[in-house]
Amino acid sequence: MKIAPTRIIRYIVLILPFLMFFLFPVYWMVITAIKTSDKWFTWPPTFIPWPFTLDSFLGSGEVYRTASLREVVPFLINSIGISLMTSVLTITLATFTAYSISRFKTGGMRFLSWILSMRMLPPIAVGVPIYVIFYHFGILNTWLALILVYTVFTSSFGVWVLVSFFNDIPRELDEAAYIDGCTLFQAFTKIVLPISLPGIVAVFIISFTLSWGEFLLALLLTYDKAAQTIPVFIGRYITGFQIAWGPIAATGLVAMLPVTILTFIALRYLISGLTLGAVRG
Amino acid sequence: MRGRLLFVLPLIFFYLSITIYPFLYMIYISFFEYNLAAGGVLKFLGVENYVKVFYDPVARGSIFFTSFITVMGIIVETLLGLLLALLVIGVKGERVMRLCFLIPMTIPMAVSGMIWRMLFNTTFGPINYFLSLFGISRISWTGDPFFAPLTILIVDIWQGTPFVFLILYAGLKSIPPVYIEAAMVDGADEWKLTRYIRLPMLRDLIMVVVLLKSIDLLKLFDSVYMITGGGPGTTTYTFSYLIYQVGFITGINLGYASSLSVILLIVIMLLTTTLIRILNVRRLLGR
Repeated sequence: MKIAPTRIIRYIVLILPFLMFFLFPVYWMVITAIKTSDKWFTWPPTFIPWPFTLDSFLGSGEVYRTASLREVVPFLINSIGISLMTSVLTITLATFTAYSISRFKTGGMRFLSWILSMRMLPPIAVGVPIYVIFYHFGILNTWLALILVYTVFTSSFGVWVLVSFFNDIPRELDEAAYIDGCTLFQAFTKIVLPISLPGIVAVFIISFTLSWGEFLLALLLTYDKAAQTIPVFIGRYITGFQIAWGPIAATGLVAMLPVTILTFIALRYLISGLTLGAVRG
Repeated sequence: MRGRLLFVLPLIFFYLSITIYPFLYMIYISFFEYNLAAGGVLKFLGVENYVKVFYDPVARGSIFFTSFITVMGIIVETLLGLLLALLVIGVKGERVMRLCFLIPMTIPMAVSGMIWRMLFNTTFGPINYFLSLFGISRISWTGDPFFAPLTILIVDIWQGTPFVFLILYAGLKSIPPVYIEAAMVDGADEWKLTRYIRLPMLRDLIMVVVLLKSIDLLKLFDSVYMITGGGPGTTTYTFSYLIYQVGFITGINLGYASSLSVILLIVIMLLTTTLIRILNVRRLLGR
């Protein structure tokens, strides 16, 4: 084969610098999470975590004095609860709107562009006035505060993904239902919704991952474990002094795994959503 | 059809109450001195909060750093993402490779900030260790005014390039194979295929990537908070980080924070409008 040399060069260029650069940080987190506590701070650094331990996850052994996952549980519950409820609210708002836009072009270009632009809003610019308003309503540091702001971003995303999804469902289906005497609401819930399940699941997943990873608004609008989420816990911990590397790496791993897996499941829809449909995955 | 308006009303009402009303309120308080900790009394200042941006050295510094990180981030990440997409396509083990390159994108920003803070650690960090193998003595990555901006840039390249790669890779995949085949029949080699077919077909998509990236980078906050804390001094203050500091930490001056937010909002809205125009949203409405 004539092309063999370029192919080998390609591999070397790809694998050595780039795979190292993109994967080493993840490898470092994984090994730090399972290192024994005497290996956290060594020179040269320890790259092979042997013997390994689960102390950092369980909070047992030497680690118990520093921190453990047990401390993380309230924040984990907040993250799960807030992300789930954001996703539910997002789907409720986005499906109806997307259906109306897909079938009747409700509001036209202006309305659709307005919804899309909501996703681009700078979180800090939303956070400043919302902080003052929620302060006066007394809902700072509650799940509700975060669910409401997150839904601004996720529902914009959801409408986009669902409009293109509904566009692919033949109109004849719901038109047949109208002729049989269904109202708009019935045609939507009984005919269109059931066959749109994949799209709805994708929007659910994307909303979940977006709210799970959000940092800035959670930092502004919450201040203790009544409502603070995992990213804020990690942020507060890592910027403090005397950081125990093992437990924080273990926490990071727990915070990362669910969303990394979910993102890959919904990747196809995520591409189309992220690029506002410029690319269909 | 009856009821079609009823379907969109909940979302409209939601957006009006969670974004439009707060924004109007923010514009209003941007003309006042407003400090919640001092009792929340509004003191009218006129346009002073807006004029202040021009002579406040910290604000000017943050505008400079935000511009730096935005321009550098766009250039490096777009080129690197494009290079990766071109390299990976058609290689053996393409799917596994693609998966590996995408992982950083899926990691929450707070977690990646945490990882990089360990990696850049001056005393025990692996990066300084790797450099020491080449005889380079320990670098204070987050404490040095030259290296701290570089640190933020490296982390953003790590987290942001996979997204560029993903989009351009999907774009390359969607080029009809007949084009490539036809060119190969005419005797085009890999380089000519890339130069005369692949790159021209990606042109619009690269434009979209650049706009999306610039909107993203102008809002940069998480990695600054996690890794440098804006330091040393105020060297790595991004615009969002400045607003956070002014409004909630050092200044607790929500009036000034509001005026800064209004400025950021206007810039982002201009970029978003451009983006939506390029994307031809009309297509989605079937026209």
